[in-house]
Amino acid sequence: MIKKLSENILDKFSMDFLRSQVLKNAYGNNDTVIAIRDPRVLLIWYLFFGLVPWFVHDIIFLLGCFLLVMVTTLLARVAGLVLFLFGLGVFSQTGYLLIVTLLFGGDASAVAPLLVLTLKVATVSLASVTVFSGLDPDRLSNGLMWYGCPERLSFSISYAYRMLPMLMEEFQNVMLSYRLRGNPPEHDTFAGKIRYLVYQVQIIIHAFYPLMLNTAKRSRTTVEALEIKGYRYAASSKEVRKIKLSSLKLTVDDLIFLTVSFLWMAVVILICGMLR
Amino acid sequence: MDVMETKTASQSQKLMIFVLTMSLYGLATLFTELIPKFQVGIVEFSVEYFLFIPLVLAMLFDPLSAALGAATGELVFSEIMLGQFGGLGELEKFLTVTIGVYVAGKVVSDPRNRKRVAAAAITGTGLQLLMGTIVDICKVQFAIEDFEAVAGLPESVFVTEGFAFLNDLLFSGILFCLLPTLYLVPKLYGKIEPLLGMKPRTSANVSGHISMKIIAVCLVGFICAVVSQMLAESGFELIGWEAGWAGNTTSMAAGMIVAAAAALLILIAMRKNAAEKVSDTK
Repeated sequence: MIKKLSENILDKFSMDFLRSQVLKNAYGNNDTVIAIRDPRVLLIWYLFFGLVPWFVHDIIFLLGCFLLVMVTTLLARVAGLVLFLFGLGVFSQTGYLLIVTLLFGGDASAVAPLLVLTLKVATVSLASVTVFSGLDPDRLSNGLMWYGCPERLSFSISYAYRMLPMLMEEFQNVMLSYRLRGNPPEHDTFAGKIRYLVYQVQIIIHAFYPLMLNTAKRSRTTVEALEIKGYRYAASSKEVRKIKLSSLKLTVDDLIFLTVSFLWMAVVILICGMLR
Repeated sequence: MDVMETKTASQSQKLMIFVLTMSLYGLATLFTELIPKFQVGIVEFSVEYFLFIPLVLAMLFDPLSAALGAATGELVFSEIMLGQFGGLGELEKFLTVTIGVYVAGKVVSDPRNRKRVAAAAITGTGLQLLMGTIVDICKVQFAIEDFEAVAGLPESVFVTEGFAFLNDLLFSGILFCLLPTLYLVPKLYGKIEPLLGMKPRTSANVSGHISMKIIAVCLVGFICAVVSQMLAESGFELIGWEAGWAGNTTSMAAGMIVAAAAALLILIAMRKNAAEKVSDTK
């Protein structure tokens, strides 16, 4: 039973699964309410929910923020894997601290500040999940560029999303070819298991040798292609920037999105004030 | 062929190094983000450290491009793509990775010198980990109100962070940084450079050594990292944020609600009008 279960989990966690999840996250949901928002509006929105929770200690205010970003995350229909990672991340940041605090003789008094910290971490990461997973990568990089982020960064984002599936596939192929040629040690006993683990790590490291050479070749091709299109000139030219950014349009819906968020926060502040 | 003759890499070669490091290290960090960590007792065996990739490339190529590429790759692939972006706090990781990799790359003048490579690899890793630990301790101290008042918390933070540092340095540092670097640098030396149209690095054509200026810049970068973390996580109360409307919160909040509701109504009306116009023209 347990064996079956672990096999099942391992099946789910294959390379192809990871690839499809990442791709789904990037390109899978372009029609959600969040994805069609203007990136500039979403970035302003993120600036509030990514920063303000750190500075406020009021639990009700934080809860209000948390509920709002939870709703937007649901609206963005983020891939399951990302949400799982989010849960893991929140726990690893504060959950373990709670356990260790209890071990060192802390009592229930430690729970309240840690709860505040957990709420803060959760709110901020959900806000970033909404904006950075919900948004189309091209729109995201355009939005960042509009705010004057270096051209390198928006280039990196577009490049990463396009190249990643290819890179993952290549890594998988190299790994598989190493496995085909290799002879893994027996892993029935405990010592054998350790040897097997070492062997696996070794293969991963060996796999980076051909991978590095291949990627070096590819990145040269990429840069040469970019140079032919005048990339380095375009990166610094104002005209090109203008043409690139002309696709961004502010609509009434974007303003409604902002106003609803604002309204919700105002209500939360009102409740805070009344309870104090 | 005059590019081959110049001592330092040309602009487009720097871009190549940047793209190369970014994609490789980004891919690796993406995996580490996805692979769950496993624990034996209290020793955590995280496969966290693929830092050997930028280390190797920084030793073979221009260190600054490799360092920036690695930090950007981590930011874009594992933070932004997976929606794990932590805002201002990410600046800390960006800066510490950049500094660690850059220093390691600068220390090595001739990649054929194995001792130098080993020393540089462990220095770079240790530097990055140490900066991360310091920032982490400060972060927890400032993020929680009444840090000293909570029983058992200060000690536990120092112990867990200090232990994590040693564990990372001894386990990940040696297994995942030192050994792979020692294996890959000699193997790649002379093979990967021609692919980018460059000459292998020798002590004759290296672009300069560690100077006071570099150390100063690194220090400033580290201070920036600490400050950014503080700002991102600390109890830095926005001036007047709470005191300002402590007295008349209710009336102000009510005003805000009325304003927001009015704006919302107007916007919805505008939207309806626009929709009608569109249907009219159709």
